[in-house]
Amino acid sequence: MRETWVAGAASNRFGKMKETAREAATRVSMEAIRQAGLEPKDIGYTFVANCLGIADHQGHLGPLVNSGLGIPEVPSATVESACSSSSAALHEAFVHVAGGFLDAALVVGVEKVSQLDTLTATSYFAIGADYAFETKNGATFPGLYATLANAYSRAFSTRPEMFGAIAVKNHANGARNPHAHFQKEISMETYLASPIVASPLRLYDCCPFSDGSAAVVVVAKEFLRSPVTEPLVVRASVRSGSVTDMHDRPDLLGLPATRTAAEKAFRQAHMEPKDIDFLEVHDCFTIAEALAVEDLGFFPKGGGARVALEGTTVRDGKLPVNPSGGLKAKGHPVGATGASQVVEVFEQMNGFAAGREVPRAETALVHNIGATGGSCSVHIFSRR
Amino acid sequence: MVDPSVAAPHSIEEFVKGYEEGGRLRGLRCANCGLVTATWGLACSRCGRYPLEEAELSTNGTVVAFTIQTVPGDEFLNDAPYAYVVVDLERGGRVTGWMPGVRSDEELRVGDPVHFVPSYKPGVQFAKGSGSPGPRPEEHR
Repeated sequence: MRETWVAGAASNRFGKMKETAREAATRVSMEAIRQAGLEPKDIGYTFVANCLGIADHQGHLGPLVNSGLGIPEVPSATVESACSSSSAALHEAFVHVAGGFLDAALVVGVEKVSQLDTLTATSYFAIGADYAFETKNGATFPGLYATLANAYSRAFSTRPEMFGAIAVKNHANGARNPHAHFQKEISMETYLASPIVASPLRLYDCCPFSDGSAAVVVVAKEFLRSPVTEPLVVRASVRSGSVTDMHDRPDLLGLPATRTAAEKAFRQAHMEPKDIDFLEVHDCFTIAEALAVEDLGFFPKGGGARVALEGTTVRDGKLPVNPSGGLKAKGHPVGATGASQVVEVFEQMNGFAAGREVPRAETALVHNIGATGGSCSVHIFSRR
Repeated sequence: MVDPSVAAPHSIEEFVKGYEEGGRLRGLRCANCGLVTATWGLACSRCGRYPLEEAELSTNGTVVAFTIQTVPGDEFLNDAPYAYVVVDLERGGRVTGWMPGVRSDEELRVGDPVHFVPSYKPGVQFAKGSGSPGPRPEEHR
């Protein structure tokens, strides 16, 4: 296996895009390629992530992006894994570069959904769940995570302020991230006063529907060309799966796919949780961040909901979690989310994260979930 | 030559017909590890053994976890708020369903008994208490 690097990473501002998905994806791709010190012609393959292209009347984005980059002959394919689509695309790029089949690959995720009304968006976002056995029985996507929160709260006697602290923290981080959908802090009072979407989840427990695009350039050592940016070494790139239906899993107190991906990733990286300086985890709902930091092995079961309130996971805490603002505040353009998590790591390690810098960050772990945990990606990065 | 095809005891359409028209919950059982589920598959999602066996699930069970859906999807637009429930059935099997008319957290508890009721609305529907499914009600839309 060859040493594999992230040489460039770029994102637009998440939220509401005026331009089409294709324009946004092409622009951030060009930016990531140039940041890597490369030209589009250096790219050997484009891995696209775009889950809800149908909402924007456009599928088959790869050839459009490549044509717009002036490299129409370069092959491409769309990788779909619900909310973990672009980290799945990143894993494909990693496998090809590490295995010697490609020297430089482009990963680009994009979504444009802001034109949908809430009802349509709610229905579209549920397609990653099991339609016949979950959605058709009344579950929305927030409803499924709410069911997990219900079980978790009962098992560990949580207080609403524990989940509120996760939302408050991630909004505080998002307020300092120019890519974030929500660039404003919220107070605990605002959190507690927000309406219930699916009990016990309040509006401020939930990530927004966002437009956005993010791109990552993955290269072999010979293609490290940038004189100005510091590349990231990919220490681990791991995917895992689990039974789609939460109720068919052994318990409702965690996501088994996170556990297996984390174990494999730490093995691949020859690292342990104590070697990681900060995390970007999949916080589509606050309960998801609590579960993630437990299932990844950083905190014991039941501890994940407490650590934000205790200050452990704030930006200058012992283990910063989601310095980008997470899905919660940065936003969740489904197909772009996984790539955007890597953008945060790249910016943190390159000193591009002014105002939200994680002190002395040398290593980072990135965790991206597909739907309610049927799929999971874990990547570990470090400085050179 | 070996026949490479593997059949499922019933299709998803037959499962839906079972609860919509037959007043029954059709499930699947793994003869190897004992997993009982309603979720369709050719092989056991826990141990991988195939084929699976047909299992008639109980229509009575208890609530394991639930949420009150305030903001519904398009098929439940006029029904919110309602409860979405995970239910452990008597004699095995964990399924999901929904409970119209359960509008707040105070109206349902984990551990409460519920029973399946046939309906013209989409999805597996449960009602409070134990009981028999009864006949499908007259259609009124």
